[in-house]
Amino acid sequence: MSEKTISNNPASVVYQRCTVDLASGTTTFAQVPCKNLEDVLGGFGRSFQILAERDIAEAYSPENPVILNTGLLTGTSIMTGMRSYFSGYSPLKQSGTGRPGAMWSTGSGNFGNKFKWTGLDEVIFENRSDKPVYALLKEGENGPEVELKPADHLVGLTGHGKIMALYQEYPDAHFAAIGPAGENWENNYMGAVVMSTDNELKSGEPKSRFAGRGGMGSLMGYKNLLAVVAQSSDKLQKITPEIRDVNRDILKSGGSARFQPASQGGGGGTWANIEVLQVFHAVPLNNFRPKGNDDVERLFRDEVEKEFDIATEACHRCGIRCHNNLFYKNEDGSRGKLAAKFDFEPLILFGSNLGVHEPAKVCDLIHRCDLLGMDAISLGTTISYVLDYNERHPEKPLFNGATFGDYEKITELIEGAGRGTLPGIARGVKRLSQDAGETSYAMHVKGLELPAYLPDTNPGYMFAIAGGHMSMGTHMMLAKEGKHSLEEWTQAITTGGLLQVGYDMIGLCKFVGVGIGHDIIVRALKEAAGLEIASGEIVAAVRRAYLRGLALELRQGFHEEKEYTLPSQVMDDPNPKVTLPKFITNEFLGELRQRVWSVFKPEMEGLLPVKGE
Amino acid sequence: MQIKVKLYASLRRQKFDEADWECADDDRIASIVEQLGLARQDVGTVLVNGLHAGWDETVQEGDVVSLLPRMGGG
Ligand code: SF4
Repeated sequence: MSEKTISNNPASVVYQRCTVDLASGTTTFAQVPCKNLEDVLGGFGRSFQILAERDIAEAYSPENPVILNTGLLTGTSIMTGMRSYFSGYSPLKQSGTGRPGAMWSTGSGNFGNKFKWTGLDEVIFENRSDKPVYALLKEGENGPEVELKPADHLVGLTGHGKIMALYQEYPDAHFAAIGPAGENWENNYMGAVVMSTDNELKSGEPKSRFAGRGGMGSLMGYKNLLAVVAQSSDKLQKITPEIRDVNRDILKSGGSARFQPASQGGGGGTWANIEVLQVFHAVPLNNFRPKGNDDVERLFRDEVEKEFDIATEACHRCGIRCHNNLFYKNEDGSRGKLAAKFDFEPLILFGSNLGVHEPAKVCDLIHRCDLLGMDAISLGTTISYVLDYNERHPEKPLFNGATFGDYEKITELIEGAGRGTLPGIARGVKRLSQDAGETSYAMHVKGLELPAYLPDTNPGYMFAIAGGHMSMGTHMMLAKEGKHSLEEWTQAITTGGLLQVGYDMIGLCKFVGVGIGHDIIVRALKEAAGLEIASGEIVAAVRRAYLRGLALELRQGFHEEKEYTLPSQVMDDPNPKVTLPKFITNEFLGELRQRVWSVFKPEMEGLLPVKGE
Repeated sequence: MQIKVKLYASLRRQKFDEADWECADDDRIASIVEQLGLARQDVGTVLVNGLHAGWDETVQEGDVVSLLPRMGGG
């Protein structure tokens, strides 16, 4: 970004774009003035406007770009300000008409910072290379430079393996890479982008972060783009007294405290959700069907601590320190080898939801998924469907006949999915359940697998635009507040819930934990980016960006009733073991859809470009 | 009067898992949380006998008050 004022003139803010034609190897640089505040804030707010200009019928087509960009606060000294975003039309999220849905996916680590510090705000990867390549983004004497390099030496390596190999060549860089899953894009639609952290590079241990959702790693694989290297000198922004105050307030806000280490009086990260949801027997178990027993309690932190050494770690300079990394204990009690990262989603989706309750086995499953470079949510949720199906049909099981708790066979499914030999799994649960002829317990909405919060507790999933809990902040509302009326859900989805996506514009982590229009955010934008943007303007821009995403879904053929729904088991066979109110019926969803669309639709008009303009 | 207090996750680690607690008839949830020495901003959800309750509600003899930390994810 090159300007410091915005007021009513977004075009005064200019960002640096590079368009890379992977087919010819040519690069084109442009200074692009912002069209609106969504452009200024960045992330998916900007990338979705580019995607909206394209008519994409197939995810795997040369016209479908991979857009890598940053948010306004990426690379600043505001705590957590290191997000980068990967956007494109998703191979996984697909409407009933067969057209792909637009997606973004994001992760932390130091890659976002290094990318921003090259002088670039955005790279659009067009077409596809006929040979494996990686992109080297670097700061040159006269501005950013971009080069494509042969990547034959990276073929077949894990995501972490590629990162470590590139680190040998570029010790001052950070990396985003795909794993074998992304390389097997034809048979795997859930490939993640694996992003390096300082801890990973220093220790050599696979402590990567992931931009997992929607198969952006598979799309990179289709393009034969195996990695992106961001090489720049560190340009740490000076921490002024005002920025220090913002960071202090982020740390002190109750919102972020729940993600801070338990040893510092914090909530201990998303891991703590297990214990809280277990109060209601609402922790996913055996394909999102809790039994009202205490099986999941073996994954409580106190239990895991008996077996493992838990280290809370962080991305570059982040005081929230939300990573919980588990290490094996040596015989003498000292810390041994890294076992896995242990956060709520992978922990549940590779643990209780697969009927696996021993922490060491859960660690191993998470670790395999991570190394192969897959989205833990999509893979875990698709495998839980397989196990459920096999339990229902022992006479004609799918794949290797694995059922709940069958750890050995589950490892085979993970390996097969990641290596491209089990496309039935790696193309996601929507396709698999349709092929198997049983869709009622396939846990997805619009082709994106559900995260580890029961659909029985969250009708808001219907209106998530890029992953159930990442793009609609209603997944904990029932457990938190007990609210279950139509009015309350309409209100939640059409106001606060959608604002969840604002963090995926500005470059910060959601774990900052305050509303996107909060004074902390306003001050952060002012102090670190030099832009005075009123809270109401931020909220309005985030709302437009979300609604543009929703409009794009409809344009891609998502049916506004049939595809804005939940897995039918939720309505047809409510789980009596969950002690929260059971309120989701077909009638409830029908009425809720109607009310939400009646709020959203008038506002969606004019948000997409008109053909030919 | 006596009630039972149950704490979960980070709150449990700060204080106790479960305890009988003496309080006055007109004590509200907010004041019970204060008496327990918990910061209000650390408590996300209050249940009385398994049902969601607000800060201003009062309790009855023998009620089970469950306090859950703030939760979130994403
Ligand atoms: S909140 Fe967690 S993921 Fe985000 S920057 Fe901090 S340590 Fe990294």
